[in-house]
Amino acid sequence: MLTIIIRSVIIYLIVLLVFRLMGKRQLGQMQPFELVLTLIIADLATIPMAEVSVPVLHGVVPLLSLVVLHFILTLICRCSQHFSKIISGKPVIIVNPKGIDYQAMKKLNLSTDDIFEALRGAGYFSISDVQYAIMETNGKVSVMPKSAAAPVTNQDLNNKVADNYLPIVLVSDGKIIKENIALAGVSQKEISDLVKENSNSKNCSIKDVLLLTINKTGQAYLQMKQGEGLSFQSKRLVSK
Amino acid sequence: MKFFHYVNFVIIVILLIAICVIEEVIVSSSLKQVQTRCYEIEMLLADRNDLLNMEITLQIDNLEYSWKKDETAMCFLVNHKNIQEIGQEIAKLKLYIASNDIDAFRVSLEEIKFYCHSYLHFMGANLHNVL
Repeated sequence: MLTIIIRSVIIYLIVLLVFRLMGKRQLGQMQPFELVLTLIIADLATIPMAEVSVPVLHGVVPLLSLVVLHFILTLICRCSQHFSKIISGKPVIIVNPKGIDYQAMKKLNLSTDDIFEALRGAGYFSISDVQYAIMETNGKVSVMPKSAAAPVTNQDLNNKVADNYLPIVLVSDGKIIKENIALAGVSQKEISDLVKENSNSKNCSIKDVLLLTINKTGQAYLQMKQGEGLSFQSKRLVSK
Repeated sequence: MKFFHYVNFVIIVILLIAICVIEEVIVSSSLKQVQTRCYEIEMLLADRNDLLNMEITLQIDNLEYSWKKDETAMCFLVNHKNIQEIGQEIAKLKLYIASNDIDAFRVSLEEIKFYCHSYLHFMGANLHNVL
């Protein structure tokens, strides 16, 4: 039994490595050939795990071979548009300004229910709101709404708004993230003072902080482990 | 980052080639060694009607020793179920010496040679095996 446990750990680590080497795509974002590889990998991994007479190498070698194959296929797809179309297919317009493209629908083996489900998933409940709907190669449907149904943006209203900046996490679960402190260009003392100023209790320390983030403009968010979140403009901390 | 991606790829390819080469070298040399020893024992058996011979006993001991040594290394590379019959037949040879059963001894020797030949044929990368 100990052998099976050790083998499971080895195979798990190798499969983890294989998936890291293959990239960070999620199941729904995979191209057809990536999905096939994932299914084969899942099946291959179980054989040496459960069968003690089979050497671990019999599981590892096919796994690594698939990584190499995946790498080669990705490389060729990147170099050749034509090959990419053969392997991954090409996006298909399923809804155009005239309505649903019946030929495309038949070609993709879709029903009207499937199209409506995809449109609802994209936030459009009426087909008359849709200018174009495109079935992407990974199976997701991208929707371009008609101008009348498109959400209003600040640009439409000629509103001048400040740009948004990515918040940097300075403290997470009572621990200072040193890399981010260096990135934000603030000191631990400044963070400590800020926490004391903005928390209810003066005895609060960084250990009591659940989350502290700050963006480039000094917009901060602080939540203590006991208490509600507080969003404020910090003059003390302005990320560089 | 892209550089490391290529390095990973090259390392994996080298690793796969190394595994294939090591398998070919270790497995084929071990099995061929067993086959050779079996032929040598057969030569000793020629013109004999019994197994009561010190040289035969010594050869079988050597065969068993070298097989046990090679089997450990081979277990990393091949399915143990595919090669365990060879070990079983070698164990039987020792029993047949004790009971002086030369006919069964000859059959076991043939079986060992057959298993070795089969596995050598089975492990090669040829069209029959691939398909």
